[in-house]
Amino acid sequence: MSSYARSSPSALRPSGDAGDFNSDIRLSVEQVSYAYSANPTQAPLFTLEATSFQARPGEIIAIVGPNACGKSTLLKLIAGALEPLSGRVLLNGFVTHVLPHRTRGQRIAMVQQESPLLFPSRAWEFVLQGRHPYGRTLRFETEEDILIARNALAQVGAEHLSDRLMDQISGGEKQRVILARALAQQPLLLLLDEPTLHLDIGAQVDLLETLRRLASANRYTVVVVTHELNLAGQYADQVALFQKGKCLRVGPPATVFQRELLEQVFQTPLTVELGSSGRPRVNMPSAK
Amino acid sequence: MRPLTLSRLLAHCAILSAILFVVVVIALKLGAVPVSLYGLGHDLLRVLFRQTSQLSSEYQLIIFDIRLPRILLGIFVGASLSVAGASFQALLRNPLADPYVLGVSSGAAVGAIIALIIEPHLALAPAVAALLTPIGAFLGAALTVTAVYFLGLREGQIDSATLLLAGIISASFLQAIIMFFMSTLTGGNYRGIAFWMMGELQTQPPHIVSLVLRFGFFLAAAAIYTTAADLNLLLAGEQEAMHLGVDVRRVRLVVYIAASLLTGLAVSVSGAIGYVGLLVPHVMRLLFGSDHRILLPTAAFGGAIAVVVADTLARTVVSPSELPVGAMTAIAGAPLFLYLMRRRLA
Amino acid sequence: MCSRPRGFVLTRKDARKKILARSSGAALLLFAASSCSTLQAQTPPVSPVAAPVYKDYVDEAGRTVRVPQPVQRIVSLAPSLTETIYALGVQDRLVGDTDYCDYPPDAQKKTKVGGAINPSLEQIVALRPDLVLVTKSLNLIETVHALDNLGVSSYGTDPHTVQEIVSSTERLAGVLGVPEAGAALGADLERHLADLQQRLSGLSPRRVLFIVWSDPLISVGKGTFIADALRLAGATSIVDSAQDWPHMSLEEVVRLQPDFLVFAASHSDSGQNDFDVLAARPGWRGLDAVRNRHFAVISDAVNRPAPRIVSAIEDLARQLHPEAFSTQPDDKEKKIPPPPPPLLRVLDSSMQVPAHLEVCACAL
Repeated sequence: MSSYARSSPSALRPSGDAGDFNSDIRLSVEQVSYAYSANPTQAPLFTLEATSFQARPGEIIAIVGPNACGKSTLLKLIAGALEPLSGRVLLNGFVTHVLPHRTRGQRIAMVQQESPLLFPSRAWEFVLQGRHPYGRTLRFETEEDILIARNALAQVGAEHLSDRLMDQISGGEKQRVILARALAQQPLLLLLDEPTLHLDIGAQVDLLETLRRLASANRYTVVVVTHELNLAGQYADQVALFQKGKCLRVGPPATVFQRELLEQVFQTPLTVELGSSGRPRVNMPSAK
Repeated sequence: MRPLTLSRLLAHCAILSAILFVVVVIALKLGAVPVSLYGLGHDLLRVLFRQTSQLSSEYQLIIFDIRLPRILLGIFVGASLSVAGASFQALLRNPLADPYVLGVSSGAAVGAIIALIIEPHLALAPAVAALLTPIGAFLGAALTVTAVYFLGLREGQIDSATLLLAGIISASFLQAIIMFFMSTLTGGNYRGIAFWMMGELQTQPPHIVSLVLRFGFFLAAAAIYTTAADLNLLLAGEQEAMHLGVDVRRVRLVVYIAASLLTGLAVSVSGAIGYVGLLVPHVMRLLFGSDHRILLPTAAFGGAIAVVVADTLARTVVSPSELPVGAMTAIAGAPLFLYLMRRRLA
Repeated sequence: MCSRPRGFVLTRKDARKKILARSSGAALLLFAASSCSTLQAQTPPVSPVAAPVYKDYVDEAGRTVRVPQPVQRIVSLAPSLTETIYALGVQDRLVGDTDYCDYPPDAQKKTKVGGAINPSLEQIVALRPDLVLVTKSLNLIETVHALDNLGVSSYGTDPHTVQEIVSSTERLAGVLGVPEAGAALGADLERHLADLQQRLSGLSPRRVLFIVWSDPLISVGKGTFIADALRLAGATSIVDSAQDWPHMSLEEVVRLQPDFLVFAASHSDSGQNDFDVLAARPGWRGLDAVRNRHFAVISDAVNRPAPRIVSAIEDLARQLHPEAFSTQPDDKEKKIPPPPPPLLRVLDSSMQVPAHLEVCACAL
């Protein structure tokens, strides 16, 4: 209804001057490993072994594997929230971990399970938080910020939720608003940690379709951690398969979803068939 | 979509400062000795134009040396406690947090008691002796804050849950020490401390202490205000805040130190006035929302108004006797707290 | 809920300027207001009468006090001091006292300034006192400081023994400008006390427990004037504590087995009642004094360091040692009192004792 309704995708394009100097590779994970120990005297509880892969603008990479295999840790390393034990994560040539907080917030957006909100805010307030990395200390949101936030909500199809309180919307709707906030950051890199966890199949497909659309329209690089093998297979350009902290294979879904490999990783009989589009489908064999 | 704008913030602050002004005028009028509004206005003008010789000296004393300093003290103490309360609620991610939850007031009380005990044994000039209690209280508060900080560290960073635990335990421990002291103190000391721990504004601190309180308030409140936008995000979650560009470690440290400073200063001059730091932020949230950029300034005004009102009641309801102001805030605060709870602490 | 007016968004520069301007304006205003008040604090109150005269005294807390001469308007912040003022005969100059000043009954008609520990400074100042009287055991040092800041002189007493109560009264009389009344009163009190000592000489003191409060059980420490009063009444407190108001355990009391329990009450009936209530409590029957109903009730004057304490002491002595009072001294058998001590002889011959205060020599 308002004049802001012209939701131009270009308004959500990555901002700033960290242009793609090498338009081929945007994200480069180089021999990154990590060890975590609860107690300095104990042996490390968990290890992510040296992992490498790369991603381009507009690509979606899915990270799959059984529980507790290091997927979330890898995501945090990519986001720059953790310092790798070895190796480095490069975003357009910059090491993510040493970026100043503000810059990191302008380049990398994370979508993860939200902690329960103490004082629930309205959806538009929530999305506006995504503009925080662009503001100075004592600032109030500008017209531009509001435009971008509106746009973000429109992009995820959640404009009608704008005035609703965050604790009064459904899981799927909440997920969309959280995604909108990430979009409002105008990032280069979009990281999602198990975004499909509490969603029904329709919402899951919806989300992945949106990610696909946004990634190509706005040239994001998207890294998604997910349990849903078939969604990964259907929408991802690359899949990285992990088991116990070790990256077993990285590549297009068809090369990663090999029956023997999957059965070994997930410890259950599975079958893989290729769909009409060349995308693999993972099935459970019918019960005998 | 109606985001917070500067003009809206200033408008709300203007309304609140107008209310504060009215409250101050009423507070100047009321008291054990009757004062007329007309006479009051007249005299204030005379003072402004330096025609002070025409005022009766007792009148002068009552208005300018008893009531006005007390009201000003109430304003700064109330503002300090409310801002500190709102800050701790954000820092600890806990709506039940108040400025004393980390043991600051108990530490201040212990410091004040120790100052009271050693004062007769030191041969001090009266001017210096009067400084001993506020300084002792502030030292006690500062030591407690430092100890709780180190106890609340986890992997080198302030962790909200650990900090809260450390604070509660320290407060309990210090309370036990206070009880020990109170059971062994003699006569006047005992009564004095009991009164002080309930929070009272009757005792005017030495002038320099008042100046430090006011200066410290502006300094600390400004420091916290620079993190106001960050606090909004921090409340959404620490991980999320970090990914949105908030330097969580720095913000936590700044808020911790500044809010503790506010509480320490307030408690050093007036004792532990309760409920203000807990409830005023919640009321302001109900009225103005949880955005800290508007919450912090309005909480400051709200706290000032609350304490001045409570103190005026405290010195008029059983006139000429006086109740401690902490009793008044508790009487009003507890029902208000229940009411807010039923509205689910918006 | 407040309605939220639609505001227009300012540019950042304007916003910053505005914030700065308004906050500094507000800050300046507040500082101005506060400095206003401090200016006033530095000007001392101007008395309507020309050229006041002062005299310096050192009070019992060691402070040097500037007392305006003459002392016409007095405010008392302790019931004991109010009583003393009446005893010295200067009650006409008493313009204000506390809510708790109830003796003599006339004191209740004076203008009240609030409690002893939380008086209304405004009320005190409004009464324009020349001198405010405080006592260290009851009033707060903060009150004294606050009065100093307002330019009001306050004189503090601090008696720890009955003798000190007497000398404190005499000193106070000097400060108030009535040294003769003070000396006379002091002499009278001394005489009573000496008489008492003489009667009780040779008698072994009764071991008593003075009960301040029964639940929890609170008695008096050996450094208090009450303990001293007990001693002068021919008793000794079984409580040996340096604290002023020590908490006692019942076990300890049973172990020490006092001869008498002593209660201070405003009416003798309530004293009797106190004892009955106490006796009914579990464990108290373990005390001989309870089983034998050995208790004494005296006036609550014993709680106040004022001249009236002497009569309470005498009352207690009568209850504890009735044999010292039941007969005329001449009729006593083996307990023939020694000859009158030299003090009294001196008093008789050389002191200018006003007729109405003269004690009949036959009391000996």
